[in-house]
Amino acid sequence: MAASLTGLLKPWTPRVLLVRWSRYNPYYLEPGPRKEVYHIPETELTPEQKEERELKSVRPIKAATNSVTSSVFNDPVLSKFVNMMMKDGDKIIAKGIITQTLENMKRKQVEKYHKAPEGKKAEIECNPYAIFHQALENCKPVIGLTSIQKGGKFYQVPIPLTDNRRRFLAMKWMITECRDNKHRRTLMYEKLSQELLAAFSKEGNVVKRKHELHKMAESNRAYAHYRWW
Amino acid sequence: MAASGGKTVGYFLWKFGNCCFNLNTNFLSPTPQVLSRQLCVSAVLHRKNLAAAGSEKFSEEFIKKQVEEFNIRKRHLANMMGEDPETFTQGDINRSIAYLFPSSLFDNKAKPLMKVRLPPGLLFLSHVSFQWGADRRPFHFLFYTGKQSYYSLMHDTFTKALAVEKHQDRLRGKDLFTQAAKQMISFLTFAISQGNDRLTQDQRLGATPILPCCVSRQHARFIQLMERLLSLPYCSVEEDFVQRYRRQLEIQSSKQQVQPLQYDQHGVAYSTGDARRKTATGTVLLRDSGSGSISINGTNYVHYFPVLQDRSVLGRFDMQCIVSGGGHSSQVGALRLSISRAMLSFLTEVQVETMRQAGLLTPDPRIKERKKPGQEGARRKFTWKKR
Repeated sequence: MAASLTGLLKPWTPRVLLVRWSRYNPYYLEPGPRKEVYHIPETELTPEQKEERELKSVRPIKAATNSVTSSVFNDPVLSKFVNMMMKDGDKIIAKGIITQTLENMKRKQVEKYHKAPEGKKAEIECNPYAIFHQALENCKPVIGLTSIQKGGKFYQVPIPLTDNRRRFLAMKWMITECRDNKHRRTLMYEKLSQELLAAFSKEGNVVKRKHELHKMAESNRAYAHYRWW
Repeated sequence: MAASGGKTVGYFLWKFGNCCFNLNTNFLSPTPQVLSRQLCVSAVLHRKNLAAAGSEKFSEEFIKKQVEEFNIRKRHLANMMGEDPETFTQGDINRSIAYLFPSSLFDNKAKPLMKVRLPPGLLFLSHVSFQWGADRRPFHFLFYTGKQSYYSLMHDTFTKALAVEKHQDRLRGKDLFTQAAKQMISFLTFAISQGNDRLTQDQRLGATPILPCCVSRQHARFIQLMERLLSLPYCSVEEDFVQRYRRQLEIQSSKQQVQPLQYDQHGVAYSTGDARRKTATGTVLLRDSGSGSISINGTNYVHYFPVLQDRSVLGRFDMQCIVSGGGHSSQVGALRLSISRAMLSFLTEVQVETMRQAGLLTPDPRIKERKKPGQEGARRKFTWKKR
C-alpha cells in the first residue's frame, strides 16, 4: 500500500491520453475555498462537512492556481468572466477591460445618484460588483434547448440546465453581444458597461435573447418527452 | 560447442516424445549449471515439453523436488567457490556463474543462469498451494470463475452480512434490538491514538494485497459491499473480518517537513524556502522583523510585478526573494510556494493544515504539453485539406 501511495503522489500522465487530462493523479482533491470555512469549530459542523474534512486530511490536495487568492477582492465568478473574455492567453488585457468596465459602471451610477431626487437615492445601486452579479443573474436562462434525433429528423427539445451551464451561457451571450453589436468606435469596456447596466434593469439585448430562448422552449413543449434522461 | 551440441541433441530427442526429456537431462548433466542451461535453452521447446509432459509437472511434489534439487546444487556451487553454503544467496550464485562462465552476449536471457525455474505454464505464485488434486478436479468450488479468490471473498463478505442481519432479526424477536448498538468505526472516522503526536492515523478500507489480480473495478465493488456491511447497526459482530481488510493511511500533514526557526546575529527569526514552478525557480528569505518590505531580485515587488494579480502577499514579514526563469506568472507561482514553505516554521499545526488544504503547499506539476508528431502543436492540427 505504501508503494502504491508514493506512485499516486507524483506528477502523472494518464496511460491513455484523453482530450481532457491533467498532470494530477485523480487521487488528488481540489483545494479548499476561503479562510472562513476553516475557522468554524468542530462542534458546529454537519456530518457531511466532518466527513469532507477528514477526507481532506488524508488525501493530497492540488495546488492553488495563480488566479485564486484568499484576499477579499477575489471573486470566482469574475475570474471566470475574465478567462472567457481572454484572447490568446492575454489575461492582462482582459483584466484591464473588466476593471475599466467596473470603474465606468461606478461612475455612471454615482452620476445618476447625484442627479436623483432624495426619495430615489436609496434605490440606486452603486457597487459595481453587485451590479455585475445581478446583471448576470438576470441573463441566466432557466431552461435550454437541445437537438435530439428521432425518426430521422432533429427536434429542438427543452431540457433543464445545470448551474454551470446557465452561468456559462449568460457570460457567453454577454461577451458575444458586446463584441458583435457595437459601433466601430466604441470601446469594449464602454459597450460592456452599457450592457451590464441594461441587464441589471432587465432591458437590453442579452435579456431579450434569454426571453427568446424561453419562448422557443415553451413553443416546443410538445417534444419534451423526447428527452430520455 | 557443448551448448549447441546439447541443443541439437535435445531437439532431436524431443521428436521421439516426452520420455526422452528425462533421458536428455540425465545424459548431459554432469554439473548443475548445465542442467539449468538445458531447461532454458529454448522457451518454445520448454513449453512444448511441459505441455506434452502432462499434469505431473504441475503438482506440488514436482515443485518441491525442484526446489530441493536446486538447494543441493546451490551448496555444491558454494563449496566449489569456497564460500559458506549456509549463507549463499541468489546474488552470490549469479556472481559465481558469471565468474565460471563468462559470457560476452548482450541478451540477459542468453547468458547462463542458475535459478529455480517454475514451469512457464504455471500462472500462480509459488507460495500459493495448488488448485487441483491428483484426480485433476479443482479444490475450490469457484475455480471455474477464473477469479476464485475475488469471488470467494465477495461470497464470504456477503455471508457475513447475512449473518449480521440474522443476528439482528433474532434480537428483534427477543425485543433486544437497539439502534444505539456499539457502532464499529465506519470508514471515515478518526481513530486517535493515545499519544498526541502528529501521526494520528485514519482507518480506511485500502487495497488488499491478498488478492493477486484485483482490478480497480473489482476493488470498488468490494468496497461497496464492505460499506453495506458496515451500514448495518450490529456490524461489530464481524469486526475481525473487516479489520483484516483495512489498511491505515497516514495523515498527509505529517509528511510536511518543517524546518526549525533559525536566528541570525541580531536575534531576528528567519527562515528560507525555495520552490519551482514550470522552469521558474524562486528562493525566499523570510524575516520576522515587522516592517513588511518585500524586495525581489533587489527591486521592490511593485516594480518587479506590475500586474495586480501577481501581488497578493502579506505585510508582517520582511522578504528577500531571488527569482529566475520562466515567465512572470510562473515566477509568481514559484515565489508563492517558496513563501509558504518558508512560513511553515512560523506557524502552528492547524495553520499548516489549513494552508495545505487551501492548496498552498503542493508543488504545481503542470508543465507545457509536448508537441505531437503529425500536429502543428500540442493540440492544434494542420489545416485540413479536402484534397
